[in-house]
Amino acid sequence: MLKKLGTMLLLGYDLFSAAPLWAQSETVTNSIGMEFVLIKPGSMLVGKFQPTVGEYKPPMPQPGEPTRPVLPESAYKEAEKMAQAASTPGFPVTINQAYYIGKFEVTQAQWQKVMGRNPAFFQGKQVTDNAGKHPVENITWQDAQAFIKRLNKLDKAHVYRLPTEFEWEYAARAGAEDDILWAKARTMGVISEPTTREVGTKEPNAWGIYDMIGNVWEWVEDYYNEKIFADPVPPRTGKQHVLKGASFTGDAKNATYLTHAAGPGNGFDVGFRVVMAVR
Amino acid sequence: MRLKIIPVSILFLFLNCSVFAQVPTGFKPIFNGENLEGWHLSRTTHQGTTPDFQVEENYIIVKQQPYGQGGVLLTDKKYRNFELYLEAKIDSFSNGGIFIRSSESGIAYQIEFDESAGSTGSLYGERMPVSKVMQATSRAKVWKANDWNSFRIRMVGEVPHITLWINGVQMWEVKQPKNDFTAGATAGMIGLQSHWTALFSPAAGEWNGLNSWAPGATHCFRNIAIKELDKNLTE
Repeated sequence: MLKKLGTMLLLGYDLFSAAPLWAQSETVTNSIGMEFVLIKPGSMLVGKFQPTVGEYKPPMPQPGEPTRPVLPESAYKEAEKMAQAASTPGFPVTINQAYYIGKFEVTQAQWQKVMGRNPAFFQGKQVTDNAGKHPVENITWQDAQAFIKRLNKLDKAHVYRLPTEFEWEYAARAGAEDDILWAKARTMGVISEPTTREVGTKEPNAWGIYDMIGNVWEWVEDYYNEKIFADPVPPRTGKQHVLKGASFTGDAKNATYLTHAAGPGNGFDVGFRVVMAVR
Repeated sequence: MRLKIIPVSILFLFLNCSVFAQVPTGFKPIFNGENLEGWHLSRTTHQGTTPDFQVEENYIIVKQQPYGQGGVLLTDKKYRNFELYLEAKIDSFSNGGIFIRSSESGIAYQIEFDESAGSTGSLYGERMPVSKVMQATSRAKVWKANDWNSFRIRMVGEVPHITLWINGVQMWEVKQPKNDFTAGATAGMIGLQSHWTALFSPAAGEWNGLNSWAPGATHCFRNIAIKELDKNLTE
Protein backbone atom coordinates (compact mmCIF):
# COMPACT_ATOMS: atom_id res chain seq x y z
CA MET A 1 0.00 0.00 0.00
CA LEU A 2 2.77 2.32 0.99
CA LYS A 3 4.64 1.42 -2.13
CA LYS A 4 1.56 2.14 -4.23
CA LEU A 5 1.08 5.49 -2.51
CA GLY A 6 4.69 6.31 -3.19
CA THR A 7 4.25 5.52 -6.86
CA MET A 8 1.11 7.63 -6.98
CA LEU A 9 2.90 10.53 -5.32
CA LEU A 10 5.77 10.24 -7.73
CA LEU A 11 3.35 10.12 -10.65
CA GLY A 12 1.61 13.18 -9.26
CA TYR A 13 4.88 15.02 -9.02
CA ASP A 14 5.74 14.16 -12.60
CA LEU A 15 2.32 15.09 -13.91
CA PHE A 16 1.89 18.39 -12.15
CA SER A 17 5.41 19.61 -11.69
CA ALA A 18 7.80 18.31 -14.30
CA ALA A 19 5.30 17.60 -17.06
CA PRO A 20 4.98 21.22 -18.24
CA LEU A 21 8.65 21.06 -19.17
CA TRP A 22 8.12 18.03 -21.37
CA ALA A 23 5.60 20.02 -23.32
CA GLN A 24 8.16 22.67 -24.25
CA SER A 25 9.96 22.56 -27.56
CA GLU A 26 13.72 22.84 -27.37
CA THR A 27 13.60 25.71 -29.85
CA VAL A 28 10.91 28.18 -30.91
CA THR A 29 10.79 30.68 -33.78
CA ASN A 30 8.36 33.57 -33.34
CA SER A 31 6.37 35.45 -35.98
CA ILE A 32 9.16 38.04 -36.36
CA GLY A 33 11.60 35.24 -37.19
CA MET A 34 13.47 35.42 -33.88
CA GLU A 35 14.76 32.00 -32.75
CA PHE A 36 14.81 30.94 -29.11
CA VAL A 37 16.50 28.11 -27.21
CA LEU A 38 14.92 26.49 -24.11
CA ILE A 39 17.01 26.87 -20.95
CA LYS A 40 16.16 24.39 -18.22
CA PRO A 41 16.48 25.07 -14.48
CA GLY A 42 19.77 24.45 -12.74
CA SER A 43 22.48 26.18 -10.74
CA MET A 44 25.87 27.81 -11.11
CA LEU A 45 28.55 29.58 -9.10
CA VAL A 46 28.81 33.34 -9.74
CA GLY A 47 31.64 35.72 -8.87
CA LYS A 48 34.36 33.18 -8.13
CA PHE A 49 37.55 35.23 -8.45
CA GLN A 50 40.95 33.54 -8.51
CA PRO A 51 43.28 36.22 -9.88
CA THR A 52 46.27 34.77 -11.69
CA VAL A 53 49.95 35.46 -11.09
CA GLY A 54 52.41 34.37 -13.76
CA GLU A 55 55.70 32.69 -13.03
CA TYR A 56 58.88 34.67 -12.56
CA LYS A 57 60.91 34.90 -15.73
CA PRO A 58 64.50 36.21 -15.60
CA PRO A 59 65.62 38.99 -17.97
CA MET A 60 65.76 37.76 -21.55
CA PRO A 61 68.51 39.49 -23.56
CA GLN A 62 67.61 40.08 -27.21
CA PRO A 63 70.43 40.55 -29.74
CA GLY A 64 70.85 44.21 -30.68
CA GLU A 65 68.32 45.44 -28.11
CA PRO A 66 68.69 46.73 -24.58
CA THR A 67 67.68 44.04 -22.10
CA ARG A 68 64.30 44.84 -20.57
CA PRO A 69 64.53 44.86 -16.77
CA VAL A 70 62.12 42.55 -14.95
CA LEU A 71 60.68 42.45 -11.45
CA PRO A 72 62.59 40.36 -8.91
CA GLU A 73 61.30 36.94 -7.90
CA SER A 74 60.24 38.40 -4.54
CA ALA A 75 57.63 40.56 -6.33
CA TYR A 76 55.96 37.38 -7.56
CA LYS A 77 55.76 36.03 -4.03
CA GLU A 78 54.19 39.29 -2.88
CA ALA A 79 51.78 39.15 -5.82
CA GLU A 80 50.77 35.60 -4.86
CA LYS A 81 49.86 36.82 -1.38
CA MET A 82 47.88 39.77 -2.77
CA ALA A 83 46.07 37.55 -5.27
CA GLN A 84 45.18 35.11 -2.51
CA ALA A 85 43.85 37.93 -0.32
CA ALA A 86 41.76 39.33 -3.19
CA SER A 87 40.23 36.00 -4.23
CA THR A 88 36.54 35.43 -3.58
CA PRO A 89 34.75 32.08 -3.43
CA GLY A 90 31.65 33.24 -5.31
CA PHE A 91 28.08 32.32 -4.44
CA PRO A 92 25.61 29.76 -5.77
CA VAL A 93 22.75 30.90 -7.97
CA THR A 94 19.78 28.66 -8.70
CA ILE A 95 17.64 29.18 -11.75
CA ASN A 96 14.22 27.84 -10.72
CA GLN A 97 12.21 28.59 -13.83
CA ALA A 98 12.85 27.43 -17.38
CA TYR A 99 12.99 30.22 -19.98
CA TYR A 100 13.73 30.72 -23.63
CA ILE A 101 16.66 32.92 -24.62
CA GLY A 102 17.47 34.34 -28.05
CA LYS A 103 19.62 31.92 -30.02
CA PHE A 104 21.20 35.05 -31.52
CA GLU A 105 21.56 38.71 -30.63
CA VAL A 106 18.65 40.81 -31.96
CA THR A 107 19.55 41.72 -35.54
CA GLN A 108 19.22 45.01 -37.39
CA ALA A 109 16.54 43.46 -39.67
CA GLN A 110 14.51 42.35 -36.63
CA TRP A 111 14.83 45.80 -35.07
CA GLN A 112 13.74 47.39 -38.36
CA LYS A 113 10.72 45.07 -38.52
CA VAL A 114 9.59 45.85 -34.99
CA MET A 115 10.60 49.50 -34.63
CA GLY A 116 10.39 50.71 -38.24
CA ARG A 117 13.93 52.18 -38.27
CA ASN A 118 17.53 51.07 -37.86
CA PRO A 119 19.78 52.93 -35.41
CA ALA A 120 22.89 50.77 -36.02
CA PHE A 121 26.25 52.30 -36.87
CA PHE A 122 27.44 49.25 -38.82
CA GLN A 123 25.16 49.42 -41.85
CA GLY A 124 25.48 50.78 -45.38
CA LYS A 125 29.09 51.50 -46.31
CA GLN A 126 30.32 50.42 -42.87
CA VAL A 127 29.88 46.73 -43.73
CA THR A 128 30.57 44.62 -46.79
CA ASP A 129 27.97 41.89 -46.19
CA ASN A 130 24.30 41.82 -45.15
CA ALA A 131 23.94 44.48 -42.44
CA GLY A 132 20.45 43.19 -41.66
CA LYS A 133 22.01 40.06 -40.19
CA HIS A 134 24.44 42.03 -38.03
CA PRO A 135 23.35 42.61 -34.44
CA VAL A 136 21.55 45.89 -33.83
CA GLU A 137 23.68 48.34 -31.81
CA ASN A 138 23.77 51.98 -30.85
CA ILE A 139 20.82 51.40 -28.53
CA THR A 140 20.36 52.35 -24.89
CA TRP A 141 18.81 50.11 -22.24
CA GLN A 142 15.64 52.19 -22.59
CA ASP A 143 15.66 51.59 -26.37
CA ALA A 144 15.90 47.82 -25.73
CA GLN A 145 12.90 48.08 -23.39
CA ALA A 146 10.95 50.01 -26.05
CA PHE A 147 11.67 47.21 -28.54
CA ILE A 148 10.46 44.60 -26.07
CA LYS A 149 7.29 46.58 -25.34
CA ARG A 150 6.47 46.76 -29.04
CA LEU A 151 7.39 43.11 -29.60
CA ASN A 152 4.96 42.13 -26.84
CA LYS A 153 2.24 44.10 -28.65
CA LEU A 154 3.07 42.59 -32.03
CA ASP A 155 3.21 38.99 -30.80
CA LYS A 156 0.57 38.44 -28.16
CA ALA A 157 1.21 34.68 -28.22
CA HIS A 158 4.36 35.12 -26.14
CA VAL A 159 5.77 37.28 -23.33
CA TYR A 160 9.17 38.89 -23.86
CA ARG A 161 11.64 40.68 -21.59
CA LEU A 162 15.37 41.24 -21.10
CA PRO A 163 17.27 38.44 -19.37
CA THR A 164 18.38 39.02 -15.79
CA GLU A 165 22.16 38.99 -15.39
CA PHE A 166 22.00 35.51 -13.86
CA GLU A 167 19.79 34.18 -16.66
CA TRP A 168 22.26 35.63 -19.16
CA GLU A 169 25.30 34.14 -17.43
CA TYR A 170 23.64 30.75 -16.90
CA ALA A 171 22.79 30.53 -20.60
CA ALA A 172 26.27 31.77 -21.60
CA ARG A 173 28.05 29.21 -19.42
CA ALA A 174 25.89 26.38 -20.77
CA GLY A 175 27.09 24.20 -17.92
CA ALA A 176 30.69 25.47 -17.80
CA GLU A 177 31.77 25.72 -14.18
CA ASP A 178 34.91 27.81 -14.62
CA ASP A 179 35.77 30.76 -16.82
CA ILE A 180 36.13 30.47 -20.58
CA LEU A 181 39.54 29.53 -21.98
CA TRP A 182 41.06 32.29 -24.14
CA ALA A 183 41.32 30.00 -27.15
CA LYS A 184 37.64 29.08 -26.81
CA ALA A 185 36.61 32.74 -26.46
CA ARG A 186 38.25 33.31 -29.83
CA THR A 187 36.43 30.42 -31.53
CA MET A 188 33.08 31.31 -29.97
CA GLY A 189 33.25 35.09 -29.90
CA VAL A 190 33.68 37.93 -32.37
CA ILE A 191 36.41 39.77 -30.43
CA SER A 192 39.38 42.00 -31.36
CA GLU A 193 37.82 42.78 -34.75
CA PRO A 194 37.17 46.11 -36.51
CA THR A 195 33.37 45.72 -36.90
CA THR A 196 30.40 43.62 -35.80
CA ARG A 197 29.79 40.44 -37.80
CA GLU A 198 26.60 38.76 -38.99
CA VAL A 199 25.17 36.87 -36.01
CA GLY A 200 25.94 33.15 -35.75
CA THR A 201 29.22 33.05 -37.69
CA LYS A 202 31.26 31.65 -34.79
CA GLU A 203 30.86 28.38 -32.88
CA PRO A 204 27.77 28.09 -30.65
CA ASN A 205 28.11 27.23 -26.97
CA ALA A 206 27.22 23.80 -25.54
CA TRP A 207 23.50 24.68 -25.52
CA GLY A 208 23.46 25.89 -29.14
CA ILE A 209 23.46 29.63 -28.42
CA TYR A 210 25.58 31.99 -30.53
CA ASP A 211 27.62 35.12 -29.80
CA MET A 212 27.11 35.19 -26.04
CA ILE A 213 30.77 36.20 -26.04
CA GLY A 214 31.70 39.15 -28.28
CA ASN A 215 30.04 40.80 -31.30
CA VAL A 216 28.03 43.29 -29.19
CA TRP A 217 27.73 43.89 -25.45
CA GLU A 218 24.31 42.76 -24.26
CA TRP A 219 22.01 44.71 -21.96
CA VAL A 220 20.44 42.75 -19.12
CA GLU A 221 17.60 43.78 -16.81
CA ASP A 222 19.66 44.47 -13.68
CA TYR A 223 20.98 47.72 -12.29
CA TYR A 224 24.77 47.93 -11.84
CA ASN A 225 26.23 47.62 -8.33
CA GLU A 226 29.56 49.34 -9.25
CA LYS A 227 31.48 46.25 -8.11
CA ILE A 228 33.68 43.78 -9.99
CA PHE A 229 30.97 41.08 -9.84
CA ALA A 230 27.25 40.88 -9.17
CA ASP A 231 25.83 40.60 -5.66
CA PRO A 232 23.51 37.68 -4.83
CA VAL A 233 20.63 40.17 -4.94
CA PRO A 234 20.92 42.90 -7.60
CA PRO A 235 20.42 46.52 -6.49
CA ARG A 236 16.90 47.96 -6.83
CA THR A 237 18.17 51.25 -8.19
CA GLY A 238 21.32 52.51 -9.85
CA LYS A 239 22.82 54.89 -12.37
CA GLN A 240 23.52 52.30 -15.03
CA HIS A 241 22.46 48.84 -16.14
CA VAL A 242 24.69 45.82 -16.47
CA LEU A 243 26.32 44.84 -19.76
CA LYS A 244 27.53 41.28 -20.38
CA GLY A 245 29.70 39.36 -22.83
CA ALA A 246 31.98 42.09 -24.27
CA SER A 247 31.96 43.08 -27.94
CA PHE A 248 33.96 42.94 -31.16
CA THR A 249 36.18 45.63 -29.56
CA GLY A 250 36.79 43.40 -26.55
CA ASP A 251 39.75 41.30 -25.59
CA ALA A 252 40.05 37.76 -24.28
CA LYS A 253 40.62 39.48 -20.92
CA ASN A 254 37.01 40.69 -20.67
CA ALA A 255 35.25 38.45 -23.21
CA THR A 256 34.34 36.03 -20.43
CA TYR A 257 31.25 34.70 -18.66
CA LEU A 258 32.28 36.49 -15.46
CA THR A 259 32.72 40.02 -16.80
CA HIS A 260 30.23 42.31 -15.07
CA ALA A 261 30.33 45.61 -16.96
CA ALA A 262 27.90 48.48 -17.30
CA GLY A 263 26.61 51.22 -19.52
CA PRO A 264 26.74 53.49 -21.26
CA GLY A 265 29.47 51.76 -23.31
CA ASN A 266 30.51 52.93 -26.77
CA GLY A 267 27.06 52.74 -28.35
CA PHE A 268 28.28 51.23 -31.62
CA ASP A 269 29.07 47.94 -29.87
CA VAL A 270 26.08 47.68 -27.50
CA GLY A 271 23.05 45.51 -28.31
CA PHE A 272 20.97 42.81 -26.61
CA ARG A 273 19.12 39.53 -26.83
CA VAL A 274 15.64 38.73 -25.60
CA VAL A 275 14.14 36.23 -23.17
CA MET A 276 10.75 34.66 -23.87
CA ALA A 277 8.75 33.27 -20.97
CA VAL A 278 7.89 29.57 -20.83
CA ARG A 279 4.14 29.13 -20.49
CA MET B 1 61.77 96.87 7.82
CA ARG B 2 62.48 97.19 4.16
CA LEU B 3 64.68 94.11 4.26
CA LYS B 4 61.78 92.09 5.61
CA ILE B 5 59.46 93.07 2.76
CA ILE B 6 61.81 91.99 0.02
CA PRO B 7 62.13 88.34 1.12
CA VAL B 8 58.32 88.13 1.45
CA SER B 9 57.93 89.33 -2.15
CA ILE B 10 60.48 86.79 -3.28
CA LEU B 11 58.62 84.10 -1.36
CA PHE B 12 55.37 85.02 -3.14
CA LEU B 13 57.14 84.96 -6.47
CA PHE B 14 58.47 81.50 -5.65
CA LEU B 15 55.04 80.25 -4.57
CA ASN B 16 53.47 81.56 -7.75
CA CYS B 17 56.05 79.72 -9.81
CA SER B 18 55.68 76.45 -7.99
CA VAL B 19 51.89 76.39 -7.82
CA PHE B 20 50.73 78.03 -11.01
CA ALA B 21 53.54 78.27 -13.48
CA GLN B 22 53.30 74.61 -14.51
CA VAL B 23 50.01 75.09 -16.31
CA PRO B 24 50.72 77.13 -19.43
CA THR B 25 48.77 80.33 -20.05
CA GLY B 26 45.35 79.88 -21.63
CA PHE B 27 44.79 76.36 -20.25
CA LYS B 28 41.71 75.60 -18.14
CA PRO B 29 42.07 73.07 -15.30
CA ILE B 30 39.96 69.91 -15.77
CA PHE B 31 40.98 68.41 -12.41
CA ASN B 32 40.03 70.59 -9.45
CA GLY B 33 42.68 69.15 -7.11
CA GLU B 34 40.07 68.09 -4.55
CA ASN B 35 37.82 65.43 -6.03
CA LEU B 36 37.02 63.68 -9.31
CA GLU B 37 34.15 65.92 -10.34
CA GLY B 38 33.98 65.95 -14.14
CA TRP B 39 35.51 62.48 -14.40
CA HIS B 40 34.08 58.93 -14.37
CA LEU B 41 35.30 55.35 -14.59
CA SER B 42 34.95 53.36 -17.78
CA ARG B 43 32.79 50.34 -16.97
CA THR B 44 33.48 48.61 -20.29
CA THR B 45 37.26 48.69 -20.65
CA HIS B 46 39.00 45.32 -20.60
CA GLN B 47 41.63 46.82 -18.27
CA GLY B 48 39.22 46.48 -15.34
CA THR B 49 36.02 48.20 -14.24
CA THR B 50 36.80 48.97 -10.59
CA PRO B 51 40.24 50.65 -10.42
CA ASP B 52 41.22 52.80 -7.43
CA PHE B 53 41.51 56.47 -8.47
CA GLN B 54 41.80 58.68 -5.37
CA VAL B 55 42.66 62.31 -4.79
CA GLU B 56 45.49 62.86 -2.30
CA GLU B 57 46.72 66.37 -1.53
CA ASN B 58 46.49 67.98 -4.97
CA TYR B 59 46.99 64.97 -7.21
CA ILE B 60 45.19 61.84 -8.46
CA ILE B 61 46.77 58.57 -7.35
CA VAL B 62 46.02 55.44 -9.37
CA LYS B 63 46.16 51.88 -8.06
CA GLN B 64 44.84 48.55 -9.26
CA GLN B 65 41.70 47.27 -7.53
CA PRO B 66 41.13 44.47 -6.76
CA TYR B 67 44.48 42.76 -7.30
CA GLY B 68 45.40 42.58 -10.99
CA GLN B 69 42.55 44.75 -12.26
CA GLY B 70 43.39 48.13 -13.74
CA GLY B 71 41.04 50.55 -15.41
CA VAL B 72 40.51 53.88 -17.09
CA LEU B 73 39.35 57.24 -15.65
CA LEU B 74 37.66 59.39 -18.29
CA THR B 75 36.60 63.01 -18.54
CA ASP B 76 32.83 63.39 -18.79
CA LYS B 77 33.39 65.85 -21.62
CA LYS B 78 34.57 64.99 -25.12
CA TYR B 79 37.21 67.11 -26.84
CA ARG B 80 37.87 67.53 -30.55
CA ASN B 81 40.81 69.86 -31.15
CA PHE B 82 42.82 70.61 -28.05
CA GLU B 83 46.08 70.94 -26.20
CA LEU B 84 46.30 68.93 -22.99
CA TYR B 85 48.77 69.65 -20.21
CA LEU B 86 49.41 67.45 -17.20
CA GLU B 87 52.15 66.31 -14.87
CA ALA B 88 52.63 62.63 -14.11
CA LYS B 89 54.77 60.65 -11.70
CA ILE B 90 55.02 56.97 -12.57
CA ASP B 91 56.63 54.02 -10.85
CA SER B 92 58.95 51.68 -12.64
CA PHE B 93 57.14 48.48 -13.72
CA SER B 94 53.78 50.11 -14.25
CA ASN B 95 52.10 50.30 -17.62
CA GLY B 96 49.51 52.94 -18.32
CA GLY B 97 49.20 56.20 -20.11
CA ILE B 98 47.15 59.10 -21.35
CA PHE B 99 44.24 58.35 -23.69
CA ILE B 100 43.24 61.03 -26.18
CA ARG B 101 39.91 61.12 -28.05
CA SER B 102 38.98 58.03 -26.06
CA SER B 103 35.72 56.16 -26.46
CA GLU B 104 33.74 55.09 -23.38
CA SER B 105 35.41 51.65 -23.40
CA GLY B 106 38.85 53.22 -23.80
CA ILE B 107 39.48 52.84 -27.53
CA ALA B 108 41.97 55.63 -28.08
CA TYR B 109 45.26 57.04 -29.26
CA GLN B 110 47.56 56.59 -26.29
CA ILE B 111 50.66 58.29 -24.95
CA GLU B 112 52.28 55.24 -23.39
CA PHE B 113 53.81 55.03 -19.91
CA ASP B 114 56.11 52.06 -19.41
CA GLU B 115 59.46 52.69 -17.83
CA SER B 116 60.61 49.06 -17.78
CA ALA B 117 59.89 48.69 -21.50
CA GLY B 118 61.51 52.07 -22.18
CA SER B 119 58.43 53.12 -24.15
CA THR B 120 57.20 56.08 -22.08
CA GLY B 121 56.14 58.83 -24.48
CA SER B 122 55.43 56.49 -27.40
CA LEU B 123 52.23 56.97 -29.41
CA TYR B 124 50.30 53.72 -29.49
CA GLY B 125 46.69 52.69 -29.97
CA GLU B 126 44.52 51.18 -27.24
CA ARG B 127 42.20 48.53 -28.73
CA MET B 128 42.93 49.84 -32.23
CA PRO B 129 45.92 49.74 -34.56
CA VAL B 130 47.56 53.13 -35.11
CA SER B 131 48.88 53.85 -38.60
CA LYS B 132 52.02 55.65 -37.47
CA VAL B 133 53.46 54.61 -34.11
CA MET B 134 55.86 57.19 -32.65
CA GLN B 135 58.70 56.97 -30.12
CA ALA B 136 60.06 59.65 -27.82
CA THR B 137 63.66 58.86 -28.71
CA SER B 138 65.13 61.99 -27.08
CA ARG B 139 63.19 61.62 -23.81
CA ALA B 140 66.25 60.61 -21.74
CA LYS B 141 67.67 64.16 -22.09
CA VAL B 142 64.78 65.72 -20.17
CA TRP B 143 63.30 62.85 -18.13
CA LYS B 144 63.31 62.85 -14.32
CA ALA B 145 63.00 59.25 -13.16
CA ASN B 146 60.57 58.58 -10.28
CA ASP B 147 59.61 62.24 -10.25
CA TRP B 148 57.04 64.58 -11.79
CA ASN B 149 57.33 65.09 -15.55
CA SER B 150 55.10 67.31 -17.65
CA PHE B 151 53.29 66.16 -20.78
CA ARG B 152 51.81 68.51 -23.33
CA ILE B 153 49.82 66.95 -26.13
CA ARG B 154 48.30 68.77 -29.09
CA MET B 155 45.69 66.92 -31.15
CA VAL B 156 43.80 68.44 -34.08
CA GLY B 157 42.01 67.40 -37.27
CA GLU B 158 39.58 64.80 -38.49
CA VAL B 159 42.69 62.91 -39.57
CA PRO B 160 44.64 63.30 -36.34
CA HIS B 161 47.70 65.52 -36.23
CA ILE B 162 49.37 64.93 -32.86
CA THR B 163 52.39 66.54 -31.16
CA LEU B 164 54.00 65.61 -27.83
CA TRP B 165 56.23 67.69 -25.58
CA ILE B 166 57.79 66.25 -22.40
CA ASN B 167 59.08 68.79 -19.88
CA GLY B 168 58.64 71.48 -22.50
CA VAL B 169 60.73 69.75 -25.19
CA GLN B 170 59.07 68.44 -28.36
CA MET B 171 59.44 64.67 -28.65
CA TRP B 172 57.60 64.06 -31.90
CA GLU B 173 54.95 65.38 -34.25
CA VAL B 174 52.84 63.15 -36.50
CA LYS B 175 50.07 63.52 -39.02
CA GLN B 176 48.35 60.14 -39.30
CA PRO B 177 47.55 59.04 -42.86
CA LYS B 178 43.97 58.29 -41.79
CA ASN B 179 41.58 58.46 -38.85
CA ASP B 180 42.33 55.15 -37.12
CA PHE B 181 39.13 54.96 -35.08
CA THR B 182 36.74 52.12 -35.98
CA ALA B 183 33.76 54.45 -35.93
CA GLY B 184 35.71 57.43 -37.29
CA ALA B 185 35.52 59.43 -34.06
CA THR B 186 36.69 63.06 -34.33
CA ALA B 187 36.22 63.85 -30.65
CA GLY B 188 36.62 61.88 -27.46
CA MET B 189 37.44 61.88 -23.79
CA ILE B 190 40.76 62.31 -22.01
CA GLY B 191 41.60 59.08 -20.18
CA LEU B 192 44.13 57.97 -17.56
CA GLN B 193 44.91 54.26 -17.66
CA SER B 194 46.19 51.59 -15.31
CA HIS B 195 47.01 48.26 -16.98
CA TRP B 196 45.57 44.90 -15.87
CA THR B 197 47.87 42.05 -14.82
CA ALA B 198 45.56 39.22 -13.73
CA LEU B 199 42.87 37.10 -15.37
CA PHE B 200 39.77 36.20 -13.38
CA SER B 201 40.73 32.54 -13.20
CA PRO B 202 43.69 30.29 -14.05
CA ALA B 203 41.19 28.34 -16.21
CA ALA B 204 41.15 31.29 -18.64
CA GLY B 205 44.74 30.67 -19.71
CA GLU B 206 48.39 31.46 -19.14
CA TRP B 207 49.33 35.07 -18.66
CA ASN B 208 52.52 36.58 -17.39
CA GLY B 209 52.07 40.29 -17.09
CA LEU B 210 53.29 41.21 -13.64
CA ASN B 211 55.93 43.52 -15.14
CA SER B 212 53.03 45.63 -16.45
CA TRP B 213 52.04 46.63 -12.90
CA ALA B 214 54.23 45.69 -9.94
CA PRO B 215 52.44 44.81 -6.70
CA GLY B 216 51.45 48.10 -5.08
CA ALA B 217 52.62 50.30 -7.99
CA THR B 218 51.05 53.74 -8.51
CA HIS B 219 50.68 56.51 -11.07
CA CYS B 220 50.06 60.09 -9.99
CA PHE B 221 48.63 62.99 -12.00
CA ARG B 222 48.34 66.69 -11.18
CA ASN B 223 47.82 70.07 -12.86
CA ILE B 224 45.61 68.57 -15.55
CA ALA B 225 44.47 71.35 -17.86
CA ILE B 226 43.18 71.77 -21.37
CA LYS B 227 43.03 74.43 -24.04
CA GLU B 228 40.29 73.81 -26.56
CA LEU B 229 41.24 74.84 -30.08
CA ASP B 230 39.15 75.94 -33.05
CA LYS B 231 37.08 72.96 -34.20
CA ASN B 232 37.98 73.61 -37.83
CA LEU B 233 41.73 73.37 -37.30
CA THR B 234 43.32 70.57 -39.32
CA GLU B 235 47.02 71.27 -38.77
